[in-house]
Amino acid sequence: MIAQALLALLLLLAPPEGSGHGWVLVRSTLTYHVSHKLHDTDGVSHAARGRGTCQAGQCDFLIAVPVKSFDSGDTNRDLHMLQVTLGGQFPMVTVRTRLPEEAQGSKTIRADLEIDFAGQTAKFTGVSFEQVTEDGERRIEGTIPASLASFHIDPPLLFGIAVKDEMPVRVEMTWRREN
Amino acid sequence: MRWRSKGRVRLNPKLAKPVAVAVVILFLFGNATRAYAQAPDPILSGTITDLSGKTVADAAIAVRNVATGQSAQTRSDSEGRFQINDLAPGEYEVSVSAPGFRTSVSTARIGAASGETLNLTLGRALSLGDLGFEPSQTAGNAKDQALLDKRSHMLKLHQQFGLITMIPLAATVILGSFAGGKATSSTDRVVHASLGGVTVVLYGTTAYYALFAPKVSDAPTRGNIRLHKALAWVHGAGMILTPILGEMAYQQKSQGEKVHGIASAHGVVGITTLIAYGAAILTETLK
Repeated sequence: MIAQALLALLLLLAPPEGSGHGWVLVRSTLTYHVSHKLHDTDGVSHAARGRGTCQAGQCDFLIAVPVKSFDSGDTNRDLHMLQVTLGGQFPMVTVRTRLPEEAQGSKTIRADLEIDFAGQTAKFTGVSFEQVTEDGERRIEGTIPASLASFHIDPPLLFGIAVKDEMPVRVEMTWRREN
Repeated sequence: MRWRSKGRVRLNPKLAKPVAVAVVILFLFGNATRAYAQAPDPILSGTITDLSGKTVADAAIAVRNVATGQSAQTRSDSEGRFQINDLAPGEYEVSVSAPGFRTSVSTARIGAASGETLNLTLGRALSLGDLGFEPSQTAGNAKDQALLDKRSHMLKLHQQFGLITMIPLAATVILGSFAGGKATSSTDRVVHASLGGVTVVLYGTTAYYALFAPKVSDAPTRGNIRLHKALAWVHGAGMILTPILGEMAYQQKSQGEKVHGIASAHGVVGITTLIAYGAAILTETLK
């Protein structure tokens, strides 16, 4: 009887199946850069949300940001960007990645990213991020070498001149561990 | 039946042929039986379930021999079962993925003589809902995109007509210096007035595409577009006033009078309109 009670107690105290620790995105700044012969443009968003769940030594991360949250300082340009990236039909950019738990302790992270944007999925392998720990939070910085062609986006024109294909996205994120 | 002859065992010649046939049949049968009884190449099989125990249909299963790189793929059936045949013995990396689930990667060792059963449980993948996004935020629709497309299309036409309009507008202002003042040639006045008319029509077309492009954002306007719109009030008013004042000046001049009254502001208003219009184009070029 006592053994049964102890077993029941152990089962109650044991974590439920599939549980593990996780990560939550606390703050973020994502900046895309587009270059044109006449001028360069940076669009910034602080609206990304993200979570990570860790199980069996692997952590799966999902980060998402509304396309329309990117602000280049010009409403007209932002709406045009929204149009060429099919933001009406595909309003979110999502990034998925899987990292081994031990990678979270290293200074440099190399991540394989799967990015959904403009109705297309593009994979970027071995993207490098620098990681520092501050006040118990993990700050991650890096640049995703994205391009318009990666997502089959026709380069927008200004006065008949197309913007460059390269569209690097600077990533600054702060993550907090949660149990 | 064997015959003994000089110490050697000899087959009865009458039975030699049937025995030979029997031997051949036995040989063939024996081989066939052995082939039939031979163990098949090892297989990997199992069932894919979710955390609640429900089977997962149509999951993609991919295996790769760690040593040789040999790979194979299959999908789970409607009851979550899968089977991959003809695998060489060895250690395999097994990857299982299904929409809405976390991709599972594990290893399995396949022995030489038998198959391996690998039952896998897939955890649910993180979704946009887990991040706190409402479905209304994440679900796009073709109608919104069509509105954006129409807006961009109309504003491109606005831009193109705007640039074209700049040509007759500048020409009208330049030719105005020959039509006004002490000039007496009625031809110059007619050419100036005609170019002015072309400018007004093109300007009206340009303005139409800007004014009637769909509004898709209720957010406050930011950036150079504010200056662009502010300048439109200047050149828009100028584009209405200039032809009115021009008509008045034309009449006065045709009657042999010196241009006087508010009609004398025609030239200044026209030049101001040109400057405001050019500046409006620059705001969109140099932003």
